[in-house]
Amino acid sequence: MADVTLRNVRKQFGTFVALEKLDIDIRSGEFVALLGPSGCGKSTTLRMLAGLEFPTSGEISIGGRVVNDVAPGKRDIAMVFQSYALYPHMTVGENIEYPLKKRGVKATERKAAVLRAAEMLQLEPLLDRKPKQLSGGQQQRVALGRALVRDPQVFLLDEPLSNLDAKLRSYMRAELIELHRRLGKTMVYVTHDQLEAMTMASRIAVMFDGRLQQFDTPAAVYNRPANRFVASFIGTPSMNQLEGAVDGSTFRVAGHAIPIDRSRFVHALGSGTFVLGVRPEFVTIGGGDLPARIRLVENTGHEQIVTLELTDGTRLLARTDAARRLDVGQSVQIGFHPDALHLFAPEETGRRLNKDDAASVIPMRSR
Amino acid sequence: MSATATNTPRLERAYARLGVLLIAPTILVFSLVIVYPLLAAIYLSVFSIYTPTLQGNFVGADNYVKLLTGHEFWNSLGVTLVWTFGTLTLQIVFGVGMALLLHQNIWFRSLARSLVLFPYFLSTVVAVLVWRWLFNDLYGAMNHGLMQLGILDMPLDWLGSMPNAMIGVILVGAWKYFPFVVIAVLARLQTIPEHLYEAARIDGAGPVARFWDVTMPQLRNVLTVIILLRAIWDFKEFDLIYLLTGGGPVTSTQTLSLLVYQEAFGLNRMGQAAAYSVGMMLVMLVFMVLYIRRTGKES
Repeated sequence: MADVTLRNVRKQFGTFVALEKLDIDIRSGEFVALLGPSGCGKSTTLRMLAGLEFPTSGEISIGGRVVNDVAPGKRDIAMVFQSYALYPHMTVGENIEYPLKKRGVKATERKAAVLRAAEMLQLEPLLDRKPKQLSGGQQQRVALGRALVRDPQVFLLDEPLSNLDAKLRSYMRAELIELHRRLGKTMVYVTHDQLEAMTMASRIAVMFDGRLQQFDTPAAVYNRPANRFVASFIGTPSMNQLEGAVDGSTFRVAGHAIPIDRSRFVHALGSGTFVLGVRPEFVTIGGGDLPARIRLVENTGHEQIVTLELTDGTRLLARTDAARRLDVGQSVQIGFHPDALHLFAPEETGRRLNKDDAASVIPMRSR
Repeated sequence: MSATATNTPRLERAYARLGVLLIAPTILVFSLVIVYPLLAAIYLSVFSIYTPTLQGNFVGADNYVKLLTGHEFWNSLGVTLVWTFGTLTLQIVFGVGMALLLHQNIWFRSLARSLVLFPYFLSTVVAVLVWRWLFNDLYGAMNHGLMQLGILDMPLDWLGSMPNAMIGVILVGAWKYFPFVVIAVLARLQTIPEHLYEAARIDGAGPVARFWDVTMPQLRNVLTVIILLRAIWDFKEFDLIYLLTGGGPVTSTQTLSLLVYQEAFGLNRMGQAAAYSVGMMLVMLVFMVLYIRRTGKES
């Protein structure tokens, strides 16, 4: 039983407000990713869970116990740092053993626990080495070993994969998912990499500018982004956002009217400026009546990302098959998949105005 | 392939010639001010020489026989070791302590960091004059203060009797040179990653454990170098002791440097002084070899 709860947490450094009114409920055994651009407050949140920073106001509890005034060593948490923070003068074995030693565990039990952790992470042959004799991936595993050796209630991971090369990162990603499944412990994972968040987390807390923007499953965050920020932050390339006006059952952009189904959006939708969002995979080239010109074609081998320009200069992206022949400068007619349209209020974190129903989730290949 | 084989060496030879040319001035100056005096000292040490005229006779190993059989050299060696060990220990303890204090986020930190260097930058003559005034048995502030506090009943003769004179010299030496330790240790402290302390806190280490498990291992290398360097410098310290006690009472604070000076310019026996200085150099060679091996290993 190790729920993690942040209740109305606020953090201020001098006059700078790092976090504002943060409410997060993490269920026991969940793998939650704190995702956002740098400076969004995700690391501060994690450090407050660890007890390395203290909230200016609000309440943090772990396993039902309020830990605001509990020292990091007594919170029953373990943390893996981006820099791994291995003790350089200790061997791998001593590094893993250290937290047990500081908790007064008996030597024989310590030895057994270290061996168990080492076995789980395939570190046995490295136990007598010093950290600087290890590769980045091995150091990463030692840091994990030091975290899991004492069987904490909650694991806190601060961008643990960002110092690894791309290949090792995807390998370690799989390892971490596997580890989480095996241990069944609550894990809180800070990252700015949406791919890590989408693939590993059971729920993602998207943060921006010191505020929680959305806290939901990866699929929900992708398919039903709560606001414009989440829509643009999740997904590569990110969602196209076109500014325009709602006029009856059409959306007017670049002098053209795009038909929209009013019943899919909230009733109070008045007139005025709105933002229409559509993901690149739902932009069809040659299938609609919106004239555009191809500005750039980026072929990644299995797909093409096409930059299109509307008559008023607005640019948007489309995703198509790699096999399709498209030329730069070519004039095309484009259209949007009618079920894949999102409507947002115009400000930067403008609220999404769709009625949330299952129908708004469209399988990607149904285009 | 053959073109590169013939061309590259020629260019390399040109670079090598330039290199020799560039280090030549240094080698020349080094030879004049270090190598020549060293050889001259060894040369002088086998003569009996009257200092004012620099005239004398070849006496072979006589000066060295006197060094080994007489008690002056061994007495001074003992004094030098007591002084070096005493003052160095205090320098390290206070230096590391002060560095740890100044590494904390305290409000007067930047001011304190400049002030702590004051003794190190102060001219030895000035510093010693102030300390002699503090130590004075008739009107010194030290005795006055200690008596006011009730620690002393009677004024103490600080620099004129033993072991007070040695304690006084060691204290002034520690005061004068601990800032060097502070600077070196503080510089190292600032490079210890904060994450290590955070990891240790999460691992359950308290402040004392964090000092021994994180700080000390990181300071070990820099402390070894500091100790060796300061040991070499303290071992040959002259002006501070000479000005403070002149080696007295009698010879109880007469270190090897003072002995050499006394022999050469007090007793006008330059040959014997040269022999003592060669003996002193051999002792210091031990420290120097350790230092060179240590720093060589790091690079």
